[in-house]
Amino acid sequence: MTLEMKGIYKSFGANDVLRDVSFTLSGGEICALLGENGAGKSTLMNILGGVHHADQGQIFLDGTPVVFQTPADSLKHGIAFIHQELNLVNDLAIYENMFIGHELKKKGGLLDAPRMIARTKEIFEKMDLDLDPRTMVRDLDASYKQIVEIARALLMEASIIIMDEPTTSLTEPEIRRVFDMMNTLKDSGVGIVFISHKLREVMEICTRFTVLRDGNMVSAGDIAETSIDRLAHDMVGHDVRTKSLRRAHEVGDTVLSGKGLTLEPVFRNVNFEVHAGEVLGFTGLLGDGRSELFQCIFGARRGYTGTVAVDGRELRIRSTTQALKAGIGYVPRNRKENGIIKDMSILENGSIVTWARDSRIGFLKKKKIADAFNRQEQELHIKLGSVKDLIGSLSGGNQQKVVLAKWLTANPRVLVFDNPTQGVDVGAKEEIYDIILKLADAGVAIIVLSSEAQEIIRVCDRTLVMFHGDVCGELVGDEMNEQAIMRLATGGQV
Amino acid sequence: MSEKTTKKNFGAWFLANWKNNALFSTGIALIVMIILQTIALGFNYDSFGSWFTAWLSNWLNILRNNSSVGIIALGMTFVIISGGIDLAVGSTLVAVGAITMSLMDATNGGLLGMIGITGIPAYILTILLAILVGVLLGGCNGVLITAGKIPPFIATLGAMKILRSVTQHFMQSRSPKVPNDFLQIASFKIGGQMLMPILYWLFLAVVLYIVSKKTVFGRHVYAVGSNEKTTRLSGINVNLVKLGVYALMGAVVAVAAVLQISRIGAMDPANAGSGYELDAIAAVIVGGTSMSGGKGSVVGTVFGMLIIAVMNNLLNLLGVPPFLREAFKGAIIIAAVLLQRKSSDN
Repeated sequence: MTLEMKGIYKSFGANDVLRDVSFTLSGGEICALLGENGAGKSTLMNILGGVHHADQGQIFLDGTPVVFQTPADSLKHGIAFIHQELNLVNDLAIYENMFIGHELKKKGGLLDAPRMIARTKEIFEKMDLDLDPRTMVRDLDASYKQIVEIARALLMEASIIIMDEPTTSLTEPEIRRVFDMMNTLKDSGVGIVFISHKLREVMEICTRFTVLRDGNMVSAGDIAETSIDRLAHDMVGHDVRTKSLRRAHEVGDTVLSGKGLTLEPVFRNVNFEVHAGEVLGFTGLLGDGRSELFQCIFGARRGYTGTVAVDGRELRIRSTTQALKAGIGYVPRNRKENGIIKDMSILENGSIVTWARDSRIGFLKKKKIADAFNRQEQELHIKLGSVKDLIGSLSGGNQQKVVLAKWLTANPRVLVFDNPTQGVDVGAKEEIYDIILKLADAGVAIIVLSSEAQEIIRVCDRTLVMFHGDVCGELVGDEMNEQAIMRLATGGQV
Repeated sequence: MSEKTTKKNFGAWFLANWKNNALFSTGIALIVMIILQTIALGFNYDSFGSWFTAWLSNWLNILRNNSSVGIIALGMTFVIISGGIDLAVGSTLVAVGAITMSLMDATNGGLLGMIGITGIPAYILTILLAILVGVLLGGCNGVLITAGKIPPFIATLGAMKILRSVTQHFMQSRSPKVPNDFLQIASFKIGGQMLMPILYWLFLAVVLYIVSKKTVFGRHVYAVGSNEKTTRLSGINVNLVKLGVYALMGAVVAVAAVLQISRIGAMDPANAGSGYELDAIAAVIVGGTSMSGGKGSVVGTVFGMLIIAVMNNLLNLLGVPPFLREAFKGAIIIAAVLLQRKSSDN
């Protein structure tokens, strides 16, 4: 099947989201749809998926014009949309999830489980997948959940599958598994749209690409004829720095150190120290224990053994409140769950850490708090309408800056960044790196936790690499490169 | 032309507020309810003066009769905004009430009389002890919920049963009498009217409004209710905030207990305060506070309480049989939540 979207226009109110965008896809292709947040990728795919309607333009399937009024329409024409937040019910078995909404029934109206299981097995066989349809979805890892979604798309006889950032929450081996599946599908003639920010993955798995910027189509072509730098350039509209940002600087005294930190089975015998003005990386694959390690140090988790010292003084931190007092800040991963409070304003989100400090007999000093946030807003170039708007009115990058702002107003001595550029676009990413380096120059000790080797190489002075809870190596300066990091992170030696 | 645009602007302004501002829509609902009630009261009077007197005394009655639940609902607002619930308030009221009455029993001087404290000092001490007991009982719920990690619904359901039963057991052969002077706390008349309960309610509403909007504790309550994890990761002691919420609830219930005793002069351990928890929760919900926490306001709760109270009065004026009135109360709770859900979805 070939898909052609021609001259698509779409606006929401006065906001033009898509202007004269065309997109093509044939069976047996994996086409990357690239662009920063807000470039119009989701809108374009939502039009294809029948969620939105184009103001102008047409969609052709095998040359015949089609109109999708609803997602069901689109699915009927063989187009399946796998959203980033998966649509599976954890407490049901795989086969029940496969058939949810159109269950097979026996004559009496009771469910026909054997037939549903058999059908699911057939699909799995086609996909070369060895999985029991009766397994509970809860017991699957994230990649298999993704694969069950794909299987469901095939059950609906989809010939075009849209995958919205399918790899964001997957570990390396899981990504491999999903990629293998995508290749199998490609070879069997299914067309796949792959929406992603990860250019490296795009280069690896895709055959073609389309780049959107500010609602316009800026480039399209074969992956074989482009490069990461070119794609990144097209996405942001100017050259993106990919070189290390490390600079000559003086390292101060040790600010935070850990000795023999252990929490079985998550991490064991971790030793480290970080100095004022230094950017220390912690990297590894998902499940390496680095997030849990720093949640312990920050007082958000308990039960570990070993000692933590701030400025050489041993501390027993039992709560986040104590960590804050000790001068430790923590910018968490998963902004939506851990970083922002959705019912509160931008100002409140950006100042909550310092409320207790900026108050008199329990009453908030409104002006002082507003002034402090205002300074951060200028400093970090946070783009916002009014500070009284809800935090959700901001883009991902700006939300992350607000989360940063709340910690910066607390003047921490050590600031831990856990996956600091998750879900922010390329431009905001660069700004966050700049902020991290500026803080280090101002004498703050910085710790960056990330599984993106590129990120570690770019901002860190040195990095510790973890594997299943053990620190299995340290790389300093130019020793940091993707091969070395990957070797250590997968349990190998330098 | 210009008139047309103002009209259109007003329409848009009204619609935007109706959809997005919970306080606005509850306020409008309350105004509509008051207009209906005023019409139902009728205009069949000789003069404006006599109509106004009738209207006013009807209103004072409404406010007075709902002051206890109204006060409890103020505390409940904090509990629900923090993401919890407190089913024990009715039982806490009766427990605090029993202790309060035993402390200054008029028949034998009470427990305080036995150690030689009588008169005004005894009353002041009694009130302070009552509030302390309220804080402790509420605090117990808080400890169960935070340290014991028991869901608030279950912890307070347990407390509800325990407190009621223990109070009934110890009070079964006693019937303490409230000293006459103590009755003045609620019954002191201003301009020939018993206004004190209304003033206490109003005063607490203002204080708790300020606490919810202007203090670190108040804002922390909203933060905990909206996203507990983020709040903890912002260096805030979430357990302490929750403990504070339930202790505050206990204190507020103690105030309601003292007020109720001094207004009525007695307290029946089997029935006093029963059903208050649900009435208070209903007021909070009708007032636009979200059961899932993080959203709501003290002012909304006052509106919610008034909407229910005025509707009750309206049904009474219209001669709707008493047994049927609860059905209307149920309907208005459901209607309020339906309206609010619509507004948050948009």
